[in-house]
Amino acid sequence: MHPALHSYIVEETTYSDGEVIIEEGSRGSWIYVILEGSAKVKKRTPKGMITIDILREGEVFGEMVFLEGGKSPRSASIIAAEGQVRVGLLDTQRLIDDYEAVPSELKTLIASLMLKLRNTTSKVCSIIVAK
Amino acid sequence: MSKDTGQTRKKKALRYEKGELIIKQGDYGISIYKIVSGEVKIFRTFNGVEVPLANLGRGNIIGEMAFLNKDADVRSASARALEDTELEVFHPRELIDKYAQTSVALKIIIDQSLSRLLRINRFMDQLAVKKREEMSHPKGKEDSWSSTREFYRKEVDIVCQYKPAHSVKVSSALLTGRIKDISMSGIGLEVSPGNETATGHEVGDSFHIDAVLPNGQELNVTAEIVSVKKQPGKIRLGMQFKELPDYYGAKKTLGFFLMPT
Repeated sequence: MHPALHSYIVEETTYSDGEVIIEEGSRGSWIYVILEGSAKVKKRTPKGMITIDILREGEVFGEMVFLEGGKSPRSASIIAAEGQVRVGLLDTQRLIDDYEAVPSELKTLIASLMLKLRNTTSKVCSIIVAK
Repeated sequence: MSKDTGQTRKKKALRYEKGELIIKQGDYGISIYKIVSGEVKIFRTFNGVEVPLANLGRGNIIGEMAFLNKDADVRSASARALEDTELEVFHPRELIDKYAQTSVALKIIIDQSLSRLLRINRFMDQLAVKKREEMSHPKGKEDSWSSTREFYRKEVDIVCQYKPAHSVKVSSALLTGRIKDISMSGIGLEVSPGNETATGHEVGDSFHIDAVLPNGQELNVTAEIVSVKKQPGKIRLGMQFKELPDYYGAKKTLGFFLMPT
């Protein structure tokens, strides 16, 4: 993991296989990074939960809410996969401070990227479910 | 330029008529567009299949991905005006420095989000191709070929001999061609237009093909033409294997040859 990110870790938690780290639709602002193991990104669909991505060591999750301005609910569930996963909780306030320092034009671009990520994720789910 | 907002960059208004291409996938460019009015379709083209990603409207931004992507400054998707569209465009010259000053942790997070989006977009490509294959009918064979050929396809240049298998009437003289790419499902065969005098090369025609692979293995297969592309001085045939009979060992031969080294 990048040392710059490492310095943001304020706490470590371990989740066991199948445990829910983030639940889709819930409110929350914690941002996490995977220190060890992997986690599944899952979304609810009319045909049940589907896995849309797998996150590995060094990958950050939970960032969408924050980068979208903090108002939206969690867009997907994150579930511990294959044995234990050790995650680091990032210093949300420090990241918010970093984000506040970003010029508004750049914020607009970041928000646009997040919007596309959110919409494309929903779209891919609906395509999978329609099959 | 409006001093009061601290903006010194120049914005330019652009108008696109319905149907016009605004951004082309694969082109270089980091200009950023904001939709002022109209509607824009974002899509990718993968193996000739159009993969729709999103329809964007007033207030939406396009082009920010190439700007935020430190690994590439090419467009990951195309944008086309679905109706007469007005855009505001600017070159993010000053934003490059501002972005460089952004906290490293934040940039890592944004990079990861971007890679996730690009990954999902590529997944959409695969889904679209699969859907196209499932829908393919006799007429759709060409599509099925062009959409499957990308997988495990190896670029080669192998001289081969071929003869028509579809009709007994046609001269069975051996013709020469060059296999330009090969996969478990077929080959791309380049032949000289001169060969047309001996036999036609129409979609649906079958040929026996004999070649020696660079690894020394012999390949004997029957393949059917699914696409014909005429270029100056050459004809490029997309061919799908009719069968790879195991008793010829063709499957095994090809499998080994195509294995990643």
